[in-house]
Amino acid sequence: MIAPSLALGQRALRLTFRRPQFLIPLFLMPSIFLAVNTGGLASTTRLPGFPETSGFLDFQLPAAMVQSLMLSGLQAGIAVALEIESGFFDRLITAPVARLSIVAGRLIAAAVLAVVQVAFFLVVGLVFGAQVAAGVGGAVLVLVLGSLAAVAFAAIGMAIAFRARQASVVQGMFPFVFAILYLSSAFFPRELLGSPADSISAWNPLSYMADGLRTPIAFGLEWTPILEGFAVTGAVIVVASLLAVAGLRWRLSDAV
Amino acid sequence: MPPHAIVTTGLEKRYPRGGTYAVRGVDLAVDPGEVYGFLGPNGAGKSTMVRLLVTLLRPSAGTAFVAGHDVVKNPAAVRANIGVALQDAAIDPLMTGRELLRLQSVLHGIPRKAVAPRSDLLLERVGLTEAGDKRVGEYSGGMRRRLDLAMALIHEPSVLFLDEPTTGLDPSSRLLLWSEVRRLRDQGTTVFLTTQYLEEADQLADRVGIIAGGELVAEDTPAALKAQVGRPHVHIGLCDPADLPMALEVSASVGSPRPGVTPSCLDVSVDHGSRELAALVRVLDDAGIVVESMAVVSPTLDDVFLQKTGEHLAEEAAA
Amino acid sequence: MPSDLVSAPVQRSEEPGRQRLIDWAAVRALVVRGLNELLRVPGAAIPGIVSPAIFLIGLVLVFGKATDIPGYGTSSFLAFVLPVALLQSAGFTGGATGVNLGRDIEGGWLDRLLLSPTSRATILVGLVLSASLRVLIPVPPLLLIAIAVGAPVPSALGVVITFVIVVMFTAVAATWASILALIFKSQQASPLMQSSILSSLLFSASYAPLELLQPWMRTIAEHNPVTLVVEGIRQCYVGDITWAVTWHALAALLVMGAIFSLWALVRLRRYER
Repeated sequence: MIAPSLALGQRALRLTFRRPQFLIPLFLMPSIFLAVNTGGLASTTRLPGFPETSGFLDFQLPAAMVQSLMLSGLQAGIAVALEIESGFFDRLITAPVARLSIVAGRLIAAAVLAVVQVAFFLVVGLVFGAQVAAGVGGAVLVLVLGSLAAVAFAAIGMAIAFRARQASVVQGMFPFVFAILYLSSAFFPRELLGSPADSISAWNPLSYMADGLRTPIAFGLEWTPILEGFAVTGAVIVVASLLAVAGLRWRLSDAV
Repeated sequence: MPPHAIVTTGLEKRYPRGGTYAVRGVDLAVDPGEVYGFLGPNGAGKSTMVRLLVTLLRPSAGTAFVAGHDVVKNPAAVRANIGVALQDAAIDPLMTGRELLRLQSVLHGIPRKAVAPRSDLLLERVGLTEAGDKRVGEYSGGMRRRLDLAMALIHEPSVLFLDEPTTGLDPSSRLLLWSEVRRLRDQGTTVFLTTQYLEEADQLADRVGIIAGGELVAEDTPAALKAQVGRPHVHIGLCDPADLPMALEVSASVGSPRPGVTPSCLDVSVDHGSRELAALVRVLDDAGIVVESMAVVSPTLDDVFLQKTGEHLAEEAAA
Repeated sequence: MPSDLVSAPVQRSEEPGRQRLIDWAAVRALVVRGLNELLRVPGAAIPGIVSPAIFLIGLVLVFGKATDIPGYGTSSFLAFVLPVALLQSAGFTGGATGVNLGRDIEGGWLDRLLLSPTSRATILVGLVLSASLRVLIPVPPLLLIAIAVGAPVPSALGVVITFVIVVMFTAVAATWASILALIFKSQQASPLMQSSILSSLLFSASYAPLELLQPWMRTIAEHNPVTLVVEGIRQCYVGDITWAVTWHALAALLVMGAIFSLWALVRLRRYER
């Protein structure tokens, strides 16, 4: 099962890198928002209740990362939906490949791409004056957690694609990516969010993923939020993968 | 200056990238009321030629006059006098046929009162009256081409350009379009038609220009072009193979006979073709030879094309 | 002697070859076609409403406390960023004009327009004007949503200024996007159209007044004419309406509009090469 998964993962990655029109937005859009948020709202660190941090850019970096990873998950879904539309997918499932490999391949590709994405934003941050409070070890933690988060988002994207089957429907989820972001602590401390986002964000897994990524960068090795980040990400991966596999089964049972 | 509908001298289009010629040194003169067929395979420069003549492309060198106006110096006057149906009928799928015709009328400066009746008339002429209020997205390929033709004719242009008008059409739609082109010619409209189908050029065109690699390699009436390749011959089938020596002997008075591929037939090369048929029948009859079949075999434009360019044209449309 | 060749010319309203700079009948016909696109595709107006609405409400939920910092001149972050959301909708509508033009170039529809004897300016005006009218569909609901979630109700003058600026910004964005469409001749340039328009809006005094921006951001925003446009609408919801701010916004829009129109006309002429 491992060899076909890796082969499918490699194919997915290769296709991603060959379509710059899909790759560029993953880096460009979060970068624009990162620049605008830090350039426009850095003074908010003066607000009472804003945690002590090395800088607003440090605080915002994880927001750019999760944004980029969520968009990549959505694109994984769009890619799968396009394969369903074009009939490639039918060819794949008639091949003697384990069903799980089809899902696993995409997830592996997402994890590898995520290392590039997270590293990109770390480098951008360092160039423009951010620091990783927890040092090199902290940066490694961020890369690992970022990859796992990407797997979770890709699994969600695929689960949607298996249900929706149409790329345009998956594409239509785009505003929801932002709705989920705004209802989490990705951009701002949870205690300072407006109502009802403050209470909703406590239940939003994205809050814990973002805080897990943020802690080593902006605050240091505080283990509670970091471990919470890993635990929640792991839980999302399990649930979303089950949904994706179930979606695949459902799609297969529906096939003529 | 003779009143040519289209005149070009040394017309060229060279693309800056790579300096390749899409059209090179083309001299052309199309008379008013003539149907001129521009024949060539894909990529030979047909569409570039049309785009140059209809002011969508600027020539790199040479001059072109269409309907009496210079395409570079007075493009607006050219546009006012020509109708164009380009290869990909760009038609907005959300609009109805009638709406598109009305829009086209307004863009061509047709007075407001005349817009509606004129649009209805054109719809009727191309047989789309009933489909006129349907959205174009629901039209078949043939209906779109007919609407495209109606749009090209909305202002009664003196020169009509049709870029591969029947490519991809089913045979019955093709015949419909052909008859419309003939009707236009009968009314005195000049038609400049590009095609990759030999049959189409043969059927419609008064004169044919063959373009290959951006250059005009041959130009004449279809019959004259064919004559350049070889003389027509009459293929005669006999009821009794024993008559063959006699048949060869008597038909020598009309053309140059030679034995055919089977023992009961012969081929007689003649100067014109059908004109010699009667004479052949007479001499064979006088000699008491019973003829089973008789047919004029003319060289095709494909033979011409092969001779001029060294390659065959794709003949997918011959059926 | 073209008259010899013409079989039976239809009576034309004017001499061929002699054209008015702008043929308003043709403009009207083009505008109707542009509006068709919006009216006949169910839900085509939704993205222009939903995305800015999510953006606006999300921003306020996330960064709403920002106005606790002195300098905003209002305690309502919603009122402060409302102009950005309205202009985002306008920019999106304008950008869509370029996207559609790219599609029309690919499909050959622009060829058809250019083949008509109408002036190039007419074609450009038709494109831009239909975008400017289309923006009137998403912006009123967006404004109502904002008011429903707590934005201040503008005065009558405020409403007029808001709509004038929104319509003009749409025209400017549509012209800019059309230039990109004419340069790239493809729908592939769509992300470039939308992201460049959105960036022009965000890299202004969008989230905070100039004084509170980071120094680098302040430098960009002070040189970005869109800052004047944002402030022109903002005065209708934060503080008082002044002639100076209004005038600056209109002047910025007119200058951008004039430069882009000339550029677009040059590109339209070059298109034939």
